[in-house]
Amino acid sequence: MRNRFPFFELNPDIIYLDSAATSQTLDTVIQDTNDFLLNHKANAHRSGHSMGAWVDEQYHSAKAKIGEWLGINDADKRIVFNSGATQGLYDAIQLATRDQDDFSVFVGGDFHHSLALPFHSTGYNHCHYIKITDSGVLDLSHLEELLRNDASKVKIIAITAVGNVTGTINDLEKIRSISKQFNAITIIDACQSMGKIHHNYDDFDFVAWSWHKVYGPQGLGCLMIDPRWLDSSPVRPGGGSITSVSYETQTYVDNAQKFESGTPNLQAIVTLPRLLDWLIIHQEQIISHDQELTKLANSLCKNNPYTSETGLITMIPEVGTVEDIALLLDVNKIMLRGGNLCAEPLVRNVSANSGLLRISWGAYTTAEEIEIAFKKIGETYERISRFI
Amino acid sequence: MKEFQDLFEDLFVFEDPMDKYEFIMEQGSLAKSVSDINFEEFELVPGCTSRLWLRYTDKQFICQADSAIVKGLGGMICDWYNQATTSQRQEFTIETLNNIGLAPILSMGRQNGVANLIKRIKYLEYWGNKNSPNK
Repeated sequence: MRNRFPFFELNPDIIYLDSAATSQTLDTVIQDTNDFLLNHKANAHRSGHSMGAWVDEQYHSAKAKIGEWLGINDADKRIVFNSGATQGLYDAIQLATRDQDDFSVFVGGDFHHSLALPFHSTGYNHCHYIKITDSGVLDLSHLEELLRNDASKVKIIAITAVGNVTGTINDLEKIRSISKQFNAITIIDACQSMGKIHHNYDDFDFVAWSWHKVYGPQGLGCLMIDPRWLDSSPVRPGGGSITSVSYETQTYVDNAQKFESGTPNLQAIVTLPRLLDWLIIHQEQIISHDQELTKLANSLCKNNPYTSETGLITMIPEVGTVEDIALLLDVNKIMLRGGNLCAEPLVRNVSANSGLLRISWGAYTTAEEIEIAFKKIGETYERISRFI
Repeated sequence: MKEFQDLFEDLFVFEDPMDKYEFIMEQGSLAKSVSDINFEEFELVPGCTSRLWLRYTDKQFICQADSAIVKGLGGMICDWYNQATTSQRQEFTIETLNNIGLAPILSMGRQNGVANLIKRIKYLEYWGNKNSPNK
């Protein structure tokens, strides 16, 4: 699969281990972006000419293939294109909490900032945090206890499918069952799970992810919605979301475009059909490769607060700071992430003053790269320890 | 007393980036201003990614950091400032740092950290530790 990612041919000396932040890009995505800008740039849903029709076709094909990939029906009614998961989660939270005074939110303790910050803006008193077990997954008995003891009219469960610090997989089946039991709205941050593991994302109210973490373009995300939310007004009304407008009123479209006002990121959207073809064909291979690398990383890693289940592993630095270690590894052309990982409360809990180092991989990562990275991390510890 | 910009001239000579960072980290071991005393939380230099503590005592600056690289940079700067002439101190501003052109050597984040250290040095020299805004 690696030969489908031109980055590695162009930069053979770089070991890229920051795929949880953003993945490298599939060759068809680069080709289709160029092709759109050079030959097809036109707007969707508006222009009657053949170029506009071509863009419309790609747009609808992208949604249909997302539906095929995820195994969901009515993709046109369920898939909202947006700028990325941050916008998707924000919109979901707006839709869920708008016009509500009496609501409570149950946020997974392994949250990415993007999942919690919009709730903070609705008032901290609404937020309850679900504990994490020692193995790094959400403690769902704690969630049930919180829900049982809460008398709010509206209950919202907001969780990550896979933690971007823990690399562990939360039990979505159980969360779906709990949400039905308590009639709770569900918001799923699927950024670290999409394309890496099999999940049934059907039957949740909102599922958000970004395409740049799934070998696609930056600046494009999806929010998958339950069709019942089509009755809600758009978070941002505007062009593309309506069928007619008068001086007094407007009629909105009855599909997911209702939540896509303005010109969407078409140069990114047109890359999705061929990206999805590749993902659908290679999904099993990608998952199997991820599991092999996960096993290897767990065997090599020391000082990791959690045993990884997919995609990434974090570790507390044995010496020095994550910033120094990441910088010195960069000198060796090894790109990894160090710091609070956009999950400051959790990282502070497990590594109070040091932050965490994170190695994350993708379909293109080799076992040898993981082995080299851990070897170099060990050497970097030794180097820094001479000066501490 | 050599000029501030001369502090960094060795760094521009190294071809291997690892040598450059080893040199900086080594300065943290050699600098007289790097102290092992227990610093207080309010002595943290604000705006640094890594934790860097700074104290002004007996007209001298002492510092400590949890990062080997930041400790080296802090030690180099404090050592220079402690021995600088009055006119060198007066002429020393953020602009002095900007004029050196550290971009090839230090990331933007590290340069901001050094700039914050300089601001803090000037502040403490003028106001003293007691008026620290962190306290």
